[in-house]
Amino acid sequence: MSKRKKRQKIKIIIATIFALIVVVVGALANFIAPHDPNATNAMLMRKAPSAEYLFGTDNMGRCVLSRVLDGARITLASTFLLVAISFLVGIIIGMLCGYYGGIVDTILMRIADLMLAFPQMVVAIAVAGILGGGIFGAMIALGITMWTGFARLARSHTLSIKNEPYITAAKLNGKNGMQIIFGHIFPNIVENVLVNALTQIGTTMIGLAGLSFLGLGVTAPQAEWGSMISEGRAYLQLAPWVVIFPAIAIIITIIIFNYLGDVVMEYRRMD
Amino acid sequence: MSETVLEIKDLSVRYEDCDVEDLQVMDVSFEMKKGEILCIVGESGSGKSTLIKAIHGMDRTRVVNGTIEAFGKDMSGLSKKDRRTLMGTDIGLIPQNPYSSFNPIRRYEVQFKEALSAQKMEYDKEKILSVFEKIGLHDGERILKCRPYELSGGMNQRIAIAVAFLFEPDLLMCDEPTSALDVTTAGMVVDELVKMKEEQNTAILMVTHHLGIAARMADHIGIMKNGRMIEYGPAKQILKNPQEEYSRKLMEDVPRLKR
Amino acid sequence: MNDREIVLSGKELHKSFGPKENRRHILKGVSFELYSGEILGIVGESGSGKSTLLKLICGIEKPDSGELIHRGKEYTGIGPEKTGKFLQMIFQDAYGSFDPRMSMEKSLKEGVGVSEEEMVKVIEEVGLTKDLLSRRPRHLSGGQCQRMSVARALLGQADILMCDEVTSALDVTSQAQVVKMIEDVRNKEDVSILFVSHDLALVSNLCDRVMVIKEGEVVDYGETKTVINNPTSEYTKKLLDSVIDI
Repeated sequence: MSKRKKRQKIKIIIATIFALIVVVVGALANFIAPHDPNATNAMLMRKAPSAEYLFGTDNMGRCVLSRVLDGARITLASTFLLVAISFLVGIIIGMLCGYYGGIVDTILMRIADLMLAFPQMVVAIAVAGILGGGIFGAMIALGITMWTGFARLARSHTLSIKNEPYITAAKLNGKNGMQIIFGHIFPNIVENVLVNALTQIGTTMIGLAGLSFLGLGVTAPQAEWGSMISEGRAYLQLAPWVVIFPAIAIIITIIIFNYLGDVVMEYRRMD
Repeated sequence: MSETVLEIKDLSVRYEDCDVEDLQVMDVSFEMKKGEILCIVGESGSGKSTLIKAIHGMDRTRVVNGTIEAFGKDMSGLSKKDRRTLMGTDIGLIPQNPYSSFNPIRRYEVQFKEALSAQKMEYDKEKILSVFEKIGLHDGERILKCRPYELSGGMNQRIAIAVAFLFEPDLLMCDEPTSALDVTTAGMVVDELVKMKEEQNTAILMVTHHLGIAARMADHIGIMKNGRMIEYGPAKQILKNPQEEYSRKLMEDVPRLKR
Repeated sequence: MNDREIVLSGKELHKSFGPKENRRHILKGVSFELYSGEILGIVGESGSGKSTLLKLICGIEKPDSGELIHRGKEYTGIGPEKTGKFLQMIFQDAYGSFDPRMSMEKSLKEGVGVSEEEMVKVIEEVGLTKDLLSRRPRHLSGGQCQRMSVARALLGQADILMCDEVTSALDVTSQAQVVKMIEDVRNKEDVSILFVSHDLALVSNLCDRVMVIKEGEVVDYGETKTVINNPTSEYTKKLLDSVIDI
């Protein structure tokens, strides 16, 4: 292995460690949080950060640190769930289209084209608006365009390997289409599509936070970074910490996951 | 005729990212004069392609021991820039994959212009067409308007040779230029290389696994096995009277027409 | 040859590709017979239609017209999942003919009902050892990989092997070994072989009969000796002249 590759591997390991820290913090949010994220206290409205309340309190006297942690839980969980479902739907549709081709392929790919024609956020706002808010509505709104990217990628990889001799050999060994798709094509393309999924995590987080900011995501009193910023915006000058800490959380998390996606992508390109 | 073009002395080479112990080429020495064709024959993994890469100074090869002298200059002492100038004008290279010599989606006309101006030469269409004609590419006008991906591998490889003809290098190195081609086209490519030697007095260093090709064109033959040159001498002598058992085996492996 | 059974035959096979206005006629009425136990060479340059012919025979492509017959039974239009029962293919790209993520053992076992002993027996028959079975294709040499694909084809219980330029990506040394192995397989097993190649010298050593194709038409067809010593077409003569010999 060359030095460049080794160096890249170290970068991947570091990025993975940071990403894991974020994931663990999110998963254990309920245990780490010093206070109940939803407990209000009229005595402690908009208190500046202190030893007791590290990130201060918001307009209703709720602990901002606990809410940021709780927000991490919901943001990460919904992001991973959304990316995973879009990934599965996309890769399966992509492989079927690529392998069988024909009229179904044409129709599905035209639908995908249609989805790509609009900016993702515009479609998401429209759909979330129709579905009337809620975290599941927001996830559907983002997922409706996200699968198309995975489907296109999976389809083009399928097209490039479906004429390889080993696919023909498998056919001659009596394997049918489904056996070939899941036995040979899937294992050979899944890595490429997974890396793409990794790079989508950051974008999806921004999307979810954005929808929540607009009031189309989580419903109160559930904490979520986007909705926290939106609420805190009203009294930004009185208590800036209510906005600053969730904003920092969003930025750091997105940078970590985007960086992880980038270094993995770069590493694969070195082969 | 007696001018030395290339002199290799006790050369050992390894790949940069491999272990220090793992030498691809070991203690190889030979000398090439102007207008001489040297064919280096060996199985895959014998180190023959690495030898060419090392002479060319490609990134991943590292000379461990010995010297490479081209036109009396020690190659390892040259800066990257000097080496590149030398490579363009005095030393040509025809790679194994005919498609890798050109940008697949740009017309030959444009690529020829660029390549020629990079070497500070005039773009002279008549000259190019006459070179094409010489090596049996009759439809020159059309070829210049084509893009590499539209033509067959054999065509591309012959156009790469046409480029070598244009630049008139004193030394042309070929890394298995025929192995991606079918037998008929391979024969033509070999004949064109011989023509180049006859007309321009080019020294040609050719690497191949096919002793038959060596028999058809070489003045000298070197046989490589596991990184070492185990036999080297005038082609006739090696073909008629090989000293090594291995050379004899290589000769038997060449399929002969059974009548 | 007349007393031997015809295993496989094609009659007047036609195939063309492309859109209507720019249709390319790749095969223009090719007919052939493969007798049991023989090696039939199919010779032609790239673009002659020999690869298309193989695709028709194994059912990857359907002929526009013509018939394909296996042991007296027509099978035209049947896909590779079914033709695989009586014919197997060995490809030019030895590495590409194995799933890069599978061990050799897994690839070889893909066919139905392959037992451990059978596999080891076939592996030894093609001149390999069973310790190579745990490797992935890129950890084998080109020649070893090509032997593995012959082994896989033999495990398929087929009575016809189709070799598509199997040696042209190998160096002469491995080429000679693979050719010798194919001869051995023919002598030991009850198989008939279609050997597609552009190398007349190779074909002249290996094949009993030979068919020369040019631009989708058969220009010479018969006993190898006859074709090589008395070629009827200019094209075959040209091919013979271009043979690189020592």
